[in-house]
Amino acid sequence: MSPALRIARKEAGELVLGLRGQLWLAVTTAVLSGFSLLLVGSKELSLLDNAQVVYDMAGLVTALGALLAVIAGIDAIGGERERGSLLPLLLAPVPRGSILAGKLGGPVAAWGVMLALAAPYFWAVGSTGQNLVSGMVALLALGTPVVLGFGFLGVALGAWMQSGRTALSVALTGLVLSASPLLLGPSLRQSAIGRMFDAVNPFSAALNGFDAVIIDSQGATTQAGHAAVAVAWLALTAWAAAAAMRRVSR
Amino acid sequence: MRLIEIDHLRLSIGEVPVLHDVCLEVAPGEVVGLLGPNGAGKTTTIAAALGLLRPQGGTVRLMGGDPWTGGAAPRRHVGVLPDPNGFYDWMTAPDYLAFFADLHGATNDAAAIARRMDRVGLAPRRGQLIGTFSRGMRQRLGLARALIGDPQLLVLDEPTNGLDPRGRREMHDLLLALAEQGVGILLCTHILDDVERLCSRVCVIDAGRTVAQGLLADLLAGQNSQLRFRLELAGPLPQGSAAGGAVPAHVRLLHHAPGHAIVDIDPHVGPPEAWRELFFLGWPIVAIAPEGGGLEALYLALTGGVVPGAPVQERAA
Amino acid sequence: MKARMILATASLAVPLLIGAGRPSYAASTAAPAVQAVVGEAASLTVEFAPVATNPAAPRMGDRLAFTSSIRNTGATPVEGLIAWLSLVQVDRGHEQPVDLEDWSAHKAIAVASLAPGAAVTTNWPMRLIQSGQYRVVVSAVSRAGAALTPSTFVDFTVAPKPVVESGRVLPVALGVPALLVGGLLLRRRRV
Repeated sequence: MSPALRIARKEAGELVLGLRGQLWLAVTTAVLSGFSLLLVGSKELSLLDNAQVVYDMAGLVTALGALLAVIAGIDAIGGERERGSLLPLLLAPVPRGSILAGKLGGPVAAWGVMLALAAPYFWAVGSTGQNLVSGMVALLALGTPVVLGFGFLGVALGAWMQSGRTALSVALTGLVLSASPLLLGPSLRQSAIGRMFDAVNPFSAALNGFDAVIIDSQGATTQAGHAAVAVAWLALTAWAAAAAMRRVSR
Repeated sequence: MRLIEIDHLRLSIGEVPVLHDVCLEVAPGEVVGLLGPNGAGKTTTIAAALGLLRPQGGTVRLMGGDPWTGGAAPRRHVGVLPDPNGFYDWMTAPDYLAFFADLHGATNDAAAIARRMDRVGLAPRRGQLIGTFSRGMRQRLGLARALIGDPQLLVLDEPTNGLDPRGRREMHDLLLALAEQGVGILLCTHILDDVERLCSRVCVIDAGRTVAQGLLADLLAGQNSQLRFRLELAGPLPQGSAAGGAVPAHVRLLHHAPGHAIVDIDPHVGPPEAWRELFFLGWPIVAIAPEGGGLEALYLALTGGVVPGAPVQERAA
Repeated sequence: MKARMILATASLAVPLLIGAGRPSYAASTAAPAVQAVVGEAASLTVEFAPVATNPAAPRMGDRLAFTSSIRNTGATPVEGLIAWLSLVQVDRGHEQPVDLEDWSAHKAIAVASLAPGAAVTTNWPMRLIQSGQYRVVVSAVSRAGAALTPSTFVDFTVAPKPVVESGRVLPVALGVPALLVGGLLLRRRRV
């Protein structure tokens, strides 16, 4: 087994099977259950179209995945450094690139488990409507690079900043800003700055892609533009994480 | 081939210069003690030696290669026990060792892991989570991890911290046995007793500079070639004594504080002659007692910085 | 008590249904306003119609609006006038009155005094909650009046829309967390 894969397996085990990971997954299901129950409990929300509900849930799952990924990314470097367990890993005869790739194993596994947990919720709220399957394909195709990009961002911040708390504050601010279209929606695009932000924001790209596929019934393969923004985000954060990892000395 | 070869190393962290001129060598089969006060630059020196920090000047060689540009390869034959030493507390010790054995490309079957556990006295703790380990047990596990891959060089930072007397003795025996097998060991510690028991050579760093390096026996012999005394004083020393003004040529003032002073006397002159000259210069001496020598005295003398302009001891090896 | 009320309403609804037979609310607006004598001294007319901006083929979740105009055609003021909106479902086999609770917050108006010749115009907004065929009517009565003055009916059909089905959501929303927590507890017990 390659060192990257071995580290990834360790990270995945720690995140998914460890206490913190289990708590996080419990919180995820609680949020999804709460949202689903709201859909049937609130008369206003119960009148939402199936497709609209699937779109909302895809955005919610992406936001939860990005939040988990950025926290896991920070903990993988900053948290381990504070616990003193990073140095033995840095001193192992493993290239930094392999350590970085392995460290992303936690967010990848957590995202996979999160998608698996979300699947029954999607079925429950969206199976009587349109585009459920293509919506989930869009979630996989557009949500994954956005979520993993936030994982890389967490690694980069954890490596750059000496304090895990500072890294977490910066990451959460960035995430809230990036995910603001989830709450603001079309109103964001009413100004030039908002449209510009919408064009480069990976979270907007994912949401607009979900909108096009789930609500407007466009094919998942027509979302190349949105996918390009999401993949560019992934590449940019991967580069930042690699640069930051080279500087880690303890 | 030297396992570690550091020559006139200079290194800054950010804008802060930390190492000014550090020299250090570790050869196969020798245990070298790296000594120095807190903040002297020992950990930074180790980090540079292991390729974690980039030097600004001088040369650093690890296993014959450049640790900064050589990637992970030079570390393949190096085992490290850092301080502080963190673990994955949610794992058991065998799982933890198997994980690092994988990373080193070493055998990680159950029998090999059991042997590693047994070697550091952790065999009874096989099923226990690391999070429940005592500090001493964690040190043992750290050493077991450092020994994965049968390294040719061990870099150990405070390895006996937290060990009980029996554990410390076992650690000593293990390290001496490894040295006999040809493993080079760099031991960074404040416990001078460990250094005296284990080290054949020492390197003393103070304020980012190597102030002494050589065979421990030679350094101690060099120190013992002087006669050291503690002088009880009734008042302050004559003006200019600290700068060498009111001190005879064959007397060396190592340390002085209100009420006492420590001096070395050239054995060729003899103490009575020295006391006469000091009385004549106005030293208010009321009592004289021999001062113990040994590594502690050597360490204090080298790192105290009380003798302005005192020459750095030459490398004896 | 509630059952008796429904039965009473249903028995009242039967003759109204017999005379209806209009398939959509647009057709029903052509009917003339109903005039009724209230007591001996006053008379009211109630005109009721959908607004022009309503969607042609409303679906669940859409909003409709209606306007009513209640005029005092008598020679004396009408005191203590109350008018209210009633909604009934008229699908065959599902004929029943509908509780306006979720459909509209605008259920009734009260007018202290309506002078002779004066009229009060009211807008009645409504959110379409369930699919089906419906009939809506405004009724007016005054404090001294002896009879009810209803408007003409307005019929409309609400098309269904795919929405979340509680029958699917509840098992998942409650079952998945329960399974997850159960699995974790089982695993911890094994460890």
